Amino acid sequence: MTATILVAEDEPLMRERLLGLLATAWPEATVVAVAENGLDAWDAWLEHAPQVVFLDIRMPGMSGLEVAERIGRQSHVVFVTAYDQYAVDAFDAGAVDYLLKPIQPGRLDKALVRLREKLDSRPDDVSEVVKQVKAASPAPAREKLKWLKASVGKQIRLIDVDEVLFFQADSKYTRVVLAGSEALVRIPLKDLLGGLDTERFWQIHRGTLVNVNAIRAAERVDAERMQVLLRGSDEVLPVSRSFTYLFRE
Amino acid sequence: MWKRIENWHREIEDEQLAVLRDPSLAAQAPAGYRRYFACKLAAMSPSEREALHRFSSSVSTTAAMLALVKLCVVLSVLGFLVNLAFLRATPWWETVIIANAIGIALAFSLVGVWFNYKKIVRAKGKALMTMVALGVVGGIVGALTAVLNKGDPWAALLDKLPKTVVVVTIVVTVLVALPTILVAVLRNRHFEILAAQLKRDAEQERLARQLSETQLRLLRAQIEPHFLFNTLGAVQQLAEHGAPRAAELTAHLIDFLRGSMSDMRSEQVTLETEFGLVESYLRVMQIRLGERLRYRIDLPPALAATPIPSMLVLTLAENAIKHGIEPSLAGGEIVVDAHDDAGTVRIGVRDSGVGMSDTPGAGTGLDNVRHRLRLAYGEGACLLLSEAEPGLLAEISIPCKEPQ
Repeated sequence: MTATILVAEDEPLMRERLLGLLATAWPEATVVAVAENGLDAWDAWLEHAPQVVFLDIRMPGMSGLEVAERIGRQSHVVFVTAYDQYAVDAFDAGAVDYLLKPIQPGRLDKALVRLREKLDSRPDDVSEVVKQVKAASPAPAREKLKWLKASVGKQIRLIDVDEVLFFQADSKYTRVVLAGSEALVRIPLKDLLGGLDTERFWQIHRGTLVNVNAIRAAERVDAERMQVLLRGSDEVLPVSRSFTYLFRE
Repeated sequence: MWKRIENWHREIEDEQLAVLRDPSLAAQAPAGYRRYFACKLAAMSPSEREALHRFSSSVSTTAAMLALVKLCVVLSVLGFLVNLAFLRATPWWETVIIANAIGIALAFSLVGVWFNYKKIVRAKGKALMTMVALGVVGGIVGALTAVLNKGDPWAALLDKLPKTVVVVTIVVTVLVALPTILVAVLRNRHFEILAAQLKRDAEQERLARQLSETQLRLLRAQIEPHFLFNTLGAVQQLAEHGAPRAAELTAHLIDFLRGSMSDMRSEQVTLETEFGLVESYLRVMQIRLGERLRYRIDLPPALAATPIPSMLVLTLAENAIKHGIEPSLAGGEIVVDAHDDAGTVRIGVRDSGVGMSDTPGAGTGLDNVRHRLRLAYGEGACLLLSEAEPGLLAEISIPCKEPQ
């Protein structure tokens, strides 16, 4: 059975190893993207919407757990870890798939058998277990962004993140839209993601993050598409298919 | 009747023993004199309580009574002899009673003070005043009794009273108050010396325990499973593809493991050894992280033989990887160096990673370093962290001379 796969692993040799073993054990599957950190992993997921995601837990930018949270029940997630005893116990208890590094071929085969079986069904909900593991691990709890620096002409403007209506990706820059004004910051949107509060800024599109407080309404365009109407701006923001679930009643 | 007295006595004794063991029970004693005495017992210092408890539970009431009777016999004989020798004019039973009164008062004071020396020592003046005051009262009562017995006129009483009071007071002071206070002071001094000794012993034991705990923590930290499994995975990956770097990585890993195991056993190593260990660690990490890690190590030959507590610089290097380079998207550079700054050796570990704001969990390793520096040098050494723009600089400063 063919499948699309995303692999996210920060150490090059471990990455090579997983890719090599996958090519042997599951030749019909296609690795559509390989990411070296959590931010790239999320961005690649948005671009490719793969069926299966292998996520290293410890990665720079965003941890595998955070990426999995964002993916929700839209892909089958397999966690990869060298040694996170607590996570492993939680995964076992919650029947969440995982692999231990260094990955051994036999163990990978077993995981793939399981994965193939459930490939056509709706992915399991891992959010509870992930939340539990995140709460127990001391590592992340990254500081959230409060201010953004944006150059407007010759001036550097300080923007209070809470006042932003939405962020929009603009190649290497990010367009920051406020009520009545806007600015460009020199950080790609995918790098800003990790510093923004997911409760406050919803990703509604690969290139768009919107402040929940600024959403006036979401409306259906046709059977698949939706768009968001804002307070304080006339712009209409499209919601990509992966995120229409955010607005389902 | 006798049974009831015995029961009553046993009950009180049990209650007081219980209070000595656990002072908080004092509040549960029945109100009145029993609560009063229980509270007095509870107010004593722990060591005093313990001594009294030991004494009370080892000496039975019968034995105490017997001792009291023996004391009375001895005092009576003494009083009789004094009467024969010096006070022929006085009836013999009077001297016997006085000898008993003074002797028993002294005995009780001594027993009391033996166990409750702290209070007396704290308020020597007050204790003396109390005893003198009691002497005065005793003198007055005694004189009054004498007068009433002999039917002397009141005028004679006024005449005799001051003399009697002064004599009784002096006798009480000399025979009871002074010995009591003297015993209290001596006993207190003895216990203070003992307590100081115990405290020193405890402190030494605590330091020794901390040292072994530190070593244990180091042991655990060194065989960090993440490090080991990821490195072995890298070795396996390289080996399976016949890459020559497999042997190279294995060699660095062996250097690192051997180095850390021998270092862990020695409290002190030279800077050269420590920097060698750091280098083998960074080599392993460099192969694993690829281009995300660059490093530089610089040790001036003049400082190569400088002694330093083992594993400190390594801990800083591990922190730099774990909290600086690994969380950083682009990776970065680690620079480990040392220089002599007018009698102080400064050892720096600088990483160009994510810096101070993003280092959760970095605390334990650094606490450990600070702690071991304090154990080895007291206040003479320190660990300072500063923002390095970009990244973080961790700098250890130690005196050039040998550690204690």
